[in-house]
Amino acid sequence: MRVVIAEDSVLLREGLARVLTDGGFEVVAQAANADELKKAVRRFKPDVAIVDVRMPPTQTDEGARAAVELRAEQPDVAVLLLSQVIEATHALALVSESAEGFGYLLKDRVLEIDDFLDAVRRVGRGGTAIDPEVISQLLGRRREEGPLDELTPREREVLELMAQGLSNKGICEKLVVSPKTVETHVNSIFWKLGLLPAQDEHRRVLAVLAYLRS
Amino acid sequence: MTRTRWLQLALALAGVLLGLLAYRVQMDNLPLTTTARSIASVVAAWSFLVAGLVAWRRRPDNRLGPLMVAVCFALLARQFRYSHDDLAFTAFFLIGELGYALVAHVALAYPSGRVTDRVERVFLYVAYVVAVAFPLAILLFHDGEQRLRYFDSRPHDSLIAVVSDGGVVDFLQDAYAVTGYGVLATTFVLLIGRKLLLATPRARRILWPLLLAAVVAALRAVLDSALSFSSRPPAFTVDLFWWQVIALTALPLAILWGLLRARLARSHVSELVVHLEETAPGDLRDELAVALEDPTLELGLWLPERDEYVDAQGATFLVPEDGPTRAVTLIEHDGEPLAVLAHDPTLRDEPKLVEAVAAAARLALVNARLHAEVRAQLETVQESRARIVSAADEERRRIERDLHDGAQQRLVALALELRAAERQLGGSGDPNVERLLSSTADELQVAVEELRELAQGIHPGILTQGGLGHALEQLAARAPLPVTVDATDERFTPEVEATAYFVACEALTNVVKHAGATRASIAARRDDGLLVIEVSDDGNGGAEESVGSGLRGLTDRVEARGGSLVVESLAGSGTRVRGVIPCAS
Repeated sequence: MRVVIAEDSVLLREGLARVLTDGGFEVVAQAANADELKKAVRRFKPDVAIVDVRMPPTQTDEGARAAVELRAEQPDVAVLLLSQVIEATHALALVSESAEGFGYLLKDRVLEIDDFLDAVRRVGRGGTAIDPEVISQLLGRRREEGPLDELTPREREVLELMAQGLSNKGICEKLVVSPKTVETHVNSIFWKLGLLPAQDEHRRVLAVLAYLRS
Repeated sequence: MTRTRWLQLALALAGVLLGLLAYRVQMDNLPLTTTARSIASVVAAWSFLVAGLVAWRRRPDNRLGPLMVAVCFALLARQFRYSHDDLAFTAFFLIGELGYALVAHVALAYPSGRVTDRVERVFLYVAYVVAVAFPLAILLFHDGEQRLRYFDSRPHDSLIAVVSDGGVVDFLQDAYAVTGYGVLATTFVLLIGRKLLLATPRARRILWPLLLAAVVAALRAVLDSALSFSSRPPAFTVDLFWWQVIALTALPLAILWGLLRARLARSHVSELVVHLEETAPGDLRDELAVALEDPTLELGLWLPERDEYVDAQGATFLVPEDGPTRAVTLIEHDGEPLAVLAHDPTLRDEPKLVEAVAAAARLALVNARLHAEVRAQLETVQESRARIVSAADEERRRIERDLHDGAQQRLVALALELRAAERQLGGSGDPNVERLLSSTADELQVAVEELRELAQGIHPGILTQGGLGHALEQLAARAPLPVTVDATDERFTPEVEATAYFVACEALTNVVKHAGATRASIAARRDDGLLVIEVSDDGNGGAEESVGSGLRGLTDRVEARGGSLVVESLAGSGTRVRGVIPCAS
């Protein structure tokens, strides 16, 4: 899988490149700012662009803006945003169009190397990676009694992983349970929340996020 | 008594005496006259004498007084031409028309006593020449037996007659009726109209009664001129006589009114003194405008340290040029400039009034200047306060950025290296070393998280990245009690966003610490150039603004942005903190 990294800190950029290369990815280009990123993506057409939200010159959100632009321009290039801070509403605003081939993670997540590589891979295949912090913020905000309270603790865990964008296979690896058990949990969750069973895993993420957001 | 006083006394006596004689001359020589008409014409002349003497006494520097006394003598002299003494007839016929030119002179010279306008000066020269030239010409051609217009049928002999020609005299009398009473009087009316048109509002208020009387008198002359060529019944001319007498008597009375008006205005000064007791420094100009009867009055206060004049609001006051359209009066205090008045030029004619008003207002002006000074300083302080808060905010932003982009990036990179090394060993190395690597990386990860929390507290990065609405959402999500957020997604300037955010942050902290609330809500919306941020809870209430130093600091912060902060907290009904911050888009 071919990757472009956009990150202004050289140290971190190099570290990421090494981890990705070791993980079997091909790092085709490294960019230090949004302009370099756009050029690299146009030239190399990578599978995934890993982008730091804050980059020079303003150090605000040029990475995010460049990502939105790239997604509109080249929908087949997946984008994984790395942010210093995570805020659910802001994150959902970025996913609102489509969650396919899109990820939004807290920067520290790169330290959980296996999870991180898994997320890059997932996004590169057109999947989704939403930071657990976003999900817990969405869940934490809910104070009213509702269908969510009827979920068992295990079902809640499955829901969170689903919302992060994990596939059934990913979930059973993570929770160390059989695929059949995960499927049962998923069906039960959809039934309890009153959601229509989703055809594929991409749509499943959007449906769950939409539910959590409402 | 001074010489002027003796002169005035002598003129008064002479006027009275001449008036009595003029009455006698009319009764003896004018068969058509009545007692009433003779008395009226003398009284009209005397009214000029009285008004003239009063004006002369009150305003010795103004020529109007002597001019009006002269009008009196000219009008009385006119009556002596009816005498059958040849010398008296010749002399007084010659100067008999001067009275009307003098009346025009008085009207045009009012109120300053001088005729400065060029057109008016030319007009007066012509009027004086015409008033003497025609009688002179008539006397040169007069035939003693010929009856002159307005005269009785008995003969009057001109001592300077050269050729006796009744036809020429008739022509001259007609010509005079046309030029003197017709053209000149009409021109005079037009000049008065022009004068009123050009006058400032204040001048118009002083001018109109006199000018009205003058116009009435002049119109009568115009009508007289027109009638002299028609064959109207003589009964109509009787009405014209009364018209003239009334207008002529009203004229000096109007001038007297003008003088008394100035005195009346001076009584405003005593009112001013009383009012100033309770006048706010900002209203001082209005009080002065009333006292000086000049609604256009402007007031500038001298600020020594700014080396300029300022208005009551503390803004720079540009002093207009002292000229024909605007007059400027400086007011000093202990030899230093205190204030400047820009006013109507007519006030130049009443220097005593201006002086009295300035004297009465001096203390209030000193007070107003202090007030303006304080306002100016307050403005400076407010500006610097806003700058200080901005600098502090900017500093927070910078520290947060430095932490994120510097230390945190470095720590993440370092931890990543360790993780990579750990993976490379992959259980093939010394277990102790691997454990050490692993625990160091874990510690680093914790350090990174703590650092992020710290940076967030200094300045939430999401505020810069996502805006106020998103930052408030995050704030609510982290709170240990349910908080609903209703916030606009609009972006504002970093200063406004930071101020609103910290209001919400501090208020929410207070809710958690003190309120005993079960839920809270945050609202942020734009309302007509203002950003309104509101945090309410369902707690105990009773929070006093003075209690929490946090709230005090918050108030300072909001006020530094030109906004305000209100805390409503009734015991038992929750607390509501409401900040309003100007956010001109």
